[in-house]
Amino acid sequence: MRLKGKTALVTGGRQGIGRAIVERLADEGARVMTCGRAYRPSDLPKEIGWQVADVSDGASVRKLAGQVRATFGGLSILVNNAGVQIEKTLAETTDADWDRLMGTNAKGVFLCCREMIPLMERGGSIINIGSVSGNTADPGLALYNASKAFVHGLTRSIAVDHGPAIRCNAILPGWIMTGMADAAFALASDPDRAKADALSRHPAGRFGQGSDIAALAAWLACDEAGFATGQCYTLDGGLTAASPLNPGLF
Amino acid sequence: MNGGADNASLGNRIAVVTGGCGGIGTAICERFVREGATVYAADIAGDSRSAARYLSLDVTCEDSIRAMMERIGDEQGRLDILVNAAGIEIESTIEETTLADWNRIFAINVTGMFLACKHALSLLRRAGGGSIINFGSYDGFIADPGLAAYCATKGAVHALTRAMACDHGPENIRVNAVCPGYVDTPMLQGFFGSSGDIDSLRQAVQDVHPVRRYGTPEDVANLVNWLAGDEARYASGQLWVLDGGLTAQVQQMRL
Repeated sequence: MRLKGKTALVTGGRQGIGRAIVERLADEGARVMTCGRAYRPSDLPKEIGWQVADVSDGASVRKLAGQVRATFGGLSILVNNAGVQIEKTLAETTDADWDRLMGTNAKGVFLCCREMIPLMERGGSIINIGSVSGNTADPGLALYNASKAFVHGLTRSIAVDHGPAIRCNAILPGWIMTGMADAAFALASDPDRAKADALSRHPAGRFGQGSDIAALAAWLACDEAGFATGQCYTLDGGLTAASPLNPGLF
Repeated sequence: MNGGADNASLGNRIAVVTGGCGGIGTAICERFVREGATVYAADIAGDSRSAARYLSLDVTCEDSIRAMMERIGDEQGRLDILVNAAGIEIESTIEETTLADWNRIFAINVTGMFLACKHALSLLRRAGGGSIINFGSYDGFIADPGLAAYCATKGAVHALTRAMACDHGPENIRVNAVCPGYVDTPMLQGFFGSSGDIDSLRQAVQDVHPVRRYGTPEDVANLVNWLAGDEARYASGQLWVLDGGLTAQVQQMRL
């Protein structure tokens, strides 16, 4: 129970990585609130708070901050997990795509940090979900890749400007088995073969799970990580430690 | 709860820490013991200040490494965790570094790590896999002045860490490096000592960190402990910088 007495807000906790983080932080003793754009998921444990919120909308995030203040008084942990992915090259991307993707992945992180930092007490921890795609490009995910690079840059700025009161780090997942990963594999001419190829490129011999990411989030959230700030930690089963050119796979 | 820090997260694990009697090595041994592991503190001299079992080890000598692994194999039958914390620092530019100095620091910081990993593999396989944690440094990414050979050894550690993660991942052997920034150890005192007044330096160094302090051996042991255990089961091939935010900034200009 490393997070007993702490309070946490996790954006985008309906499913996938966000849900795994919500449940893990609660298991560690934190009081947890999460949010999404629609109704409360029926399978969300009852002790977890749910708010309908759109992180890309300033008024909605201000309202969310009010609910955090009313429920918890202050905030110890903020996990910016809410994100969307659009499977397009830059040339295919419309203005509306830009607004939707950058609105959630970039502006959403900015708004949540700006509105929640005043609620965070000394010793607070912000954890942003970046991506290995923010460092090296996944094909056909132009704006998504760029939005994650924004998250990495903002992570460093928050750590530098708001330390020592607040620590801020990013977790960069590789391929985590979620609906988002399936959507990316669906772009391949042969999704099953693409998946087998991707798997063989992981030294860990498997894709990641939400619980893998949640395990690192829990560590970064707790006082054990008191000297960790301003970093972008990759958690990808070894994928990006190896060159993409692997003669054994030809 | 699976593997939280409250209870023993390394119960039944066999661990060896090279440099296990040094500043950071001692903190790692103490933490591993607290987490329930059977721990060997391997070092060139001195005695284990923790509850770990002391093993005499010269990491530059292949016979010494072999003898250590044979003993662990005889006593435990396997190895789950190898921490390569043995290392030295030489405070000089390349011009002042003799070939003997250069060879010595590479022998300890790089060759020693290579030998320990090489001869640990069979014991790690007997455990069905394991976790190797190497000591890189933020100096493997950016240079501290007057530490040329040290910086170069840490760059080598980083590259070897990724290579071993790539080669041995399929055997369920994870390989990561921790890359500390300024940590309060005798090595840091040595670095300060070469640059003038320790007290004013100490304050200046703290002030330049976003967390307004430098690290402790316990901070580093916290990360090593996480990487050693099952919580980090998907973490491999990475260089984990732990520096209080120091390198998230550009250099602080005095304008």
